[in-house]
Amino acid sequence: MKIIAAFNIKGGVGKTSTAVNLAFLAAQTGYRTLVWDLDPQGASSFYFRIKPKVKGGSKELISGKCELDGLIRGTDFERLDLLPADFSFRNLDLVLDSGKKPTHRLEKLLKPLGDDYDFIFLDCPPNISLLSEAIFEASDILLSPVIPTTLSLRTLDQLKKFISHKKIKKLQLMPFFSMVDRRKKLHLDIMKILPEQHPDFLTATIPYASDIERMGQERMPLNAFIKNSRSTRAYLELWQELLEHLNSKSL
Amino acid sequence: MLYHFDAPGRLTTENLIAELSKKLNVQLVSQHYSLKTYFDSFDWRLYSGGILCEFNQSKPVSRLILKDCLSGQTLASADLDSIPAFAAGFSNAKIRKMLSPLLEMRALLPITTLDYTLYQLNILNEDEKIVLKIIIESYDLINSRISLEAIKGYDNALARVSKILIEAGLKPSRSSVLVDALKTQSRKPSDYSSKLTIELAPDLRADIAVKYILSHLLKTIKINEQGTITNTDSEFLHDFRVAVRRTRSGLSQLKEVLPEAENDRFSQYFAWLGQLTNQTRDLDVQLINFENYQNALPVTLRKDLTPLYDFLSVKQKQAQKTLAAKLKSSEYVIPLRQWEDFLKTPAIKKPTETEALLPIKNLADRRIWKVYKRIIKQGNRITDQSPAENLHELRKTCKKLRYLMEFFQSLYPQKKIKPLIKVLKDFQEILGDFQDLEVQEQSLKTYSAEMIEKQVPANTFLAMGVLIQNLDKRRCDTRNAFATKFETFKQRENQISFQTLFKNNEPDT
Ligand SMILES: Nc1ncnc2c1ncn2[C@@H]1O[C@H](COP(=O)(O)OP(=O)(O)OP(=O)(O)O)[C@@H](O)[C@H]1O
Ligand SMILES: [Mg+2]
Repeated sequence: MKIIAAFNIKGGVGKTSTAVNLAFLAAQTGYRTLVWDLDPQGASSFYFRIKPKVKGGSKELISGKCELDGLIRGTDFERLDLLPADFSFRNLDLVLDSGKKPTHRLEKLLKPLGDDYDFIFLDCPPNISLLSEAIFEASDILLSPVIPTTLSLRTLDQLKKFISHKKIKKLQLMPFFSMVDRRKKLHLDIMKILPEQHPDFLTATIPYASDIERMGQERMPLNAFIKNSRSTRAYLELWQELLEHLNSKSL
Repeated sequence: MLYHFDAPGRLTTENLIAELSKKLNVQLVSQHYSLKTYFDSFDWRLYSGGILCEFNQSKPVSRLILKDCLSGQTLASADLDSIPAFAAGFSNAKIRKMLSPLLEMRALLPITTLDYTLYQLNILNEDEKIVLKIIIESYDLINSRISLEAIKGYDNALARVSKILIEAGLKPSRSSVLVDALKTQSRKPSDYSSKLTIELAPDLRADIAVKYILSHLLKTIKINEQGTITNTDSEFLHDFRVAVRRTRSGLSQLKEVLPEAENDRFSQYFAWLGQLTNQTRDLDVQLINFENYQNALPVTLRKDLTPLYDFLSVKQKQAQKTLAAKLKSSEYVIPLRQWEDFLKTPAIKKPTETEALLPIKNLADRRIWKVYKRIIKQGNRITDQSPAENLHELRKTCKKLRYLMEFFQSLYPQKKIKPLIKVLKDFQEILGDFQDLEVQEQSLKTYSAEMIEKQVPANTFLAMGVLIQNLDKRRCDTRNAFATKFETFKQRENQISFQTLFKNNEPDT
């Protein structure tokens, strides 16, 4: 089982779109896949038409009293399940903090799912907090959508510092460009110079595209309502690059 | 999880969907015409092994599904255009590994085909989210099947739809589609087995009983005739031969029962028929054993054996062709029809044969006991120095006893006769192995002589030499194990069991 967190300190950069669309592709490839919606706004739950409601809320969930398996719901797509969000997730930090070993809590909760899923995608809320630390400890890969602006790169540096400061061993940060607008000179400039400073950037990029925005009306992953477009190809490339990284690492 | 229901015949699929639509948000995903064919070996090896093999053909794709007989759950599936004849022909490894140990050398044959319309429905909630998937297979001849595929976390929908279906008169499926389909043809699964099951009443007149047994064997001969001619797989000929051999044994073992002239004439005919099939069967056995032959060789020699396989295949095809032609000739057909007529003629009121009027149980006791005593006598005479012929003689006597016990099984308590058949079977194994190894060794020598003229590479002969050595070594081992096996067979406990079961009705002589 591989755990992949779609994470960025900044909001509105494409974390949810990434988690939802890559999870869909993973399931299509044949992997048993789970999306965990950790954001109280419940955006990924919304995309799968699943009510953002968890019995017992964040307290019960974090305490581990009820197993995660009982809260999981099947999506409309084969091999793809979702663990919905709940409005109470807004105080996840507090709940975590009141328990033992808060930064290792998610890791422990996810462990029993190892036999049921090949991939788990975590759709994370923005910001950096105790929850983020717990996410870093639980994940194998931190997949981070970055809009090519100067400010975005600064937050990426902050994130890198944070991770190295906390000494989280197995976590691999994988940034990639998201919402790339080829008409904007700034985007192109930044993307040109960047690989020198940050060689860890993935080569696949997600364009700024109206069909990705339409996921909100369609309420389903992009590839479920569009068969072949620039955007679907971009997500497919991103997924394949991710898989290659995983395969080369496991060899 | 899947939940299966049967729709009563009067309820059409359209009405059922209308009924569901009144209460639920139903989405028709697809509807198309399909063909479903069940496959199994002629002797139902998959079904006996708890597997249903379903091939669903429809426009977009054709799919093979292996299901658990009892639960109906899918065990494996693959998209395929056609079904290979043998398990080894499946490219899907999971399917191949599931089928091979069950089917072995038997071919997969279509058993029955049904046409149906396949409906796929989704039940949606107020968010237009799928909460349950429904699959309807709508048949003409049998009840339609409705399967509910639950979606994790939406048990309410499953419960709700189940309730609506039950209220509409549907019932949880009891029998499989295969069983229902066969029922429309007055058939049922496992309606052929190479095992003998003959029910006899103890006081039945011997001549009537013997004809009954022989008719049963004739049926087996006829059932396997076509598959032998077409060479569908090697076991049609095998079962055909066993039935012929049993018939011969019956005729000679129960001599004083049927009119002498017919007995002699048909004995000759079946002896001829047995002869006719020998060569093809020998070659079949060589081909079946070929993998073992290869595995018994050092890895470096294995490839060298390939020319032998090619040689055997060509030879088998020729022999089989000759045999098939014979089985279509009047030489075979006419006497067999006369045999059938003879078996059908009612018993004579006052037969002259001495044993014709005996109650069959008496005759059975007498014959079985006599042959059993002969085995003990022959076995006792065999020492470590005795020639191979003595073992072959004993093997034949054992076979006679085996056939008698199988013919007359129903006359004895199953709990008593079954273990004794098992005792005999275990003993026969070593005699059979001894004989088979000798035949294989002999045949290989004959083949190598024939192959010399065919410019076969020298290494092939080297490999065959090693093979013959292997066989010879195994034959010696088998021969050395004989004494112990015979001791086991004739141990006191077994002797007493044979005696009490078969001897008691006869006055001691
Ligand atoms: N590549 C893109 N092109 C155009 N619009 C996009 C793209 N990716 C995401 N969007 C839109 O931008 C908005 C934010 O995207 P998304 O929800 O994926 O980001 P997020 O990082 O998860 O946001 P948040 O921090 O609020 O959780 C959404 O309305 C989405 O439809
Ligand atoms: Mg989001």
